[in-house]
Amino acid sequence: MPEPLDRTSRTLSSSSAHTPDLVIATHGLSRHFGYRKAVDDLTISVPRGTIAGFVGPNGSGKTTTIRMLLGLLRPTSGSATILGHAISHPREYLPRVGAVCESPVFYPGLSGRKNLEVLAQLGGHPRSRIDHVLEIVGLDSRARDPVSKYSLGMKQRLGLAMALLPEPELLILDEPTNGLDPLGIIELRDQLRGMRDRGTTLFISSHLLGELEQVTDWLVMILEGNAVFNGPAHELVDRRGELVVEAADPTQLNLVAGIATAAGYRVTWTDSSLRIACPVDWASELQRCSAEAGAMGVTIRAREASLEEGFLAMLRGER
Amino acid sequence: MRAFRSELTKLRRWSVLAGVPAMVAVAVGLSYFGLSHMADPKLEQAAQAIPTTQGLITLVSFPQRLLDTIVVAMVTANVAAEWSQGTLRNLLVREPGRLRLLAGKMLALLLFVAVSASLALLVAAGFVLIAAPSQGMSTAPWVSLSGVGAFVSFWGSELLGLAGVSLLGMLVAVMARSVGTSVGISVAYVLIVEDLVSKIWPDGVVWFPIHLFRYLWGTPSGFTLGAPPMGYTLDVAAALLCMLGFITVSAVLFRRMDVTA
Repeated sequence: MPEPLDRTSRTLSSSSAHTPDLVIATHGLSRHFGYRKAVDDLTISVPRGTIAGFVGPNGSGKTTTIRMLLGLLRPTSGSATILGHAISHPREYLPRVGAVCESPVFYPGLSGRKNLEVLAQLGGHPRSRIDHVLEIVGLDSRARDPVSKYSLGMKQRLGLAMALLPEPELLILDEPTNGLDPLGIIELRDQLRGMRDRGTTLFISSHLLGELEQVTDWLVMILEGNAVFNGPAHELVDRRGELVVEAADPTQLNLVAGIATAAGYRVTWTDSSLRIACPVDWASELQRCSAEAGAMGVTIRAREASLEEGFLAMLRGER
Repeated sequence: MRAFRSELTKLRRWSVLAGVPAMVAVAVGLSYFGLSHMADPKLEQAAQAIPTTQGLITLVSFPQRLLDTIVVAMVTANVAAEWSQGTLRNLLVREPGRLRLLAGKMLALLLFVAVSASLALLVAAGFVLIAAPSQGMSTAPWVSLSGVGAFVSFWGSELLGLAGVSLLGMLVAVMARSVGTSVGISVAYVLIVEDLVSKIWPDGVVWFPIHLFRYLWGTPSGFTLGAPPMGYTLDVAAALLCMLGFITVSAVLFRRMDVTA
């Protein structure tokens, strides 16, 4: 039987707690709307210089968390720091943060350039910065068109340009690939990596796990307002591999299945093999136990799980 | 200052600028209506003021009730749209000082209202001055020193009253946080609510905000609501107190509220 999900141990088991330079750190952060706990006792951390994926199903509390980090919502309880400053004092850190919260919104009657001008004036950023960010996102040729004539993908690019205005140390993006065509997604991916290489920390909320897998080196998974994983992305993938066991004799597979099930891992039968969802480094232990149980003729192959598989396994509460 | 400049950039939208010709058209149209209906017995009180130094301001005060409705709708829609469109979150990320943001926005809107209302008043006054002789009216008292003084005084009172109406619009927008709801509430209040209250509580309604603001305009001309029963100085003081109340409540609410738009 799968073990009940031990959220606390998973959250704290990551190496994040030992990372000295944290750009985002929350401690028991909660936000309740009446009886509904949108975010509940959330403890996460994001180290400097990483691309951190913020993953969770719809309604899991991602946007509420981002809003609290941006000073738009007050937490019910708990605390958090951004770039070393408490979120109760957003003026201390927001000038160094770029963000797109939910889908990017603009004044439709103004051009893309004018929209950026409004925000540049408000944030005290030089005009030259507007041309620069428009060029980065590839909107310079359409900058004078009214936003009402922009496609969804163009609005996403303008949203990214808006977030880049302050030359941010921390960039918070909510579903940045929405509406982008495949070429746009590839370009965005390269841009995000480039930003990370220049020292910007990125915190990206997305439900497209395949996209995140390509760029993230840190992962925060959230479920029902609580962190179920917080740590290096490879740690989750390593932890969530799969062992494929083959044997000519079905009774030997039965023995192996029994061992895996007793250890709390999910076992799936195929025609002539078993698939065990478990860390790939459990293979040696399985090999040893199988041999002790008399299943000598089994072949065990390890296969690393994708981020999506890891996430789904986490949601199902598998060990 | 940054919020003020940023708001000025936004006001250069066609949807906002369209309010200026609308105000000018209303001012000219209703002033002309007054000019051409002076023989109407219902306008006897206004007709008596025409040959005096109060003649010009009597005619240009015809559109004021409609102008304050346009202004309250414009300001309310502009402020509430930041919630309805969701653009408020962009603004607050770039300017987390909420009071600075609200102050900059309102200063820019008040400037816009003052410029557009002044333009409407001046165009309407120019139109009346040109058209009056054709209706057999003498403009000599209107352009005399005391006539011009009365006009300037009316102009100042109008701007003060419109500032009050604008601040009322801000308060409603901050409370309702939706364009449709807040414009509906503010316009209904300006057009209907106080008039209804005046039917059942005529003595008390004179201290209500819209009455206080409209008494400001009525003071020099004796038109619209007429002279304030509590006296002009007390009316100004009460109107200013009212505005201060609107600012305080809006600031407290805006500073503390969650932004979920």
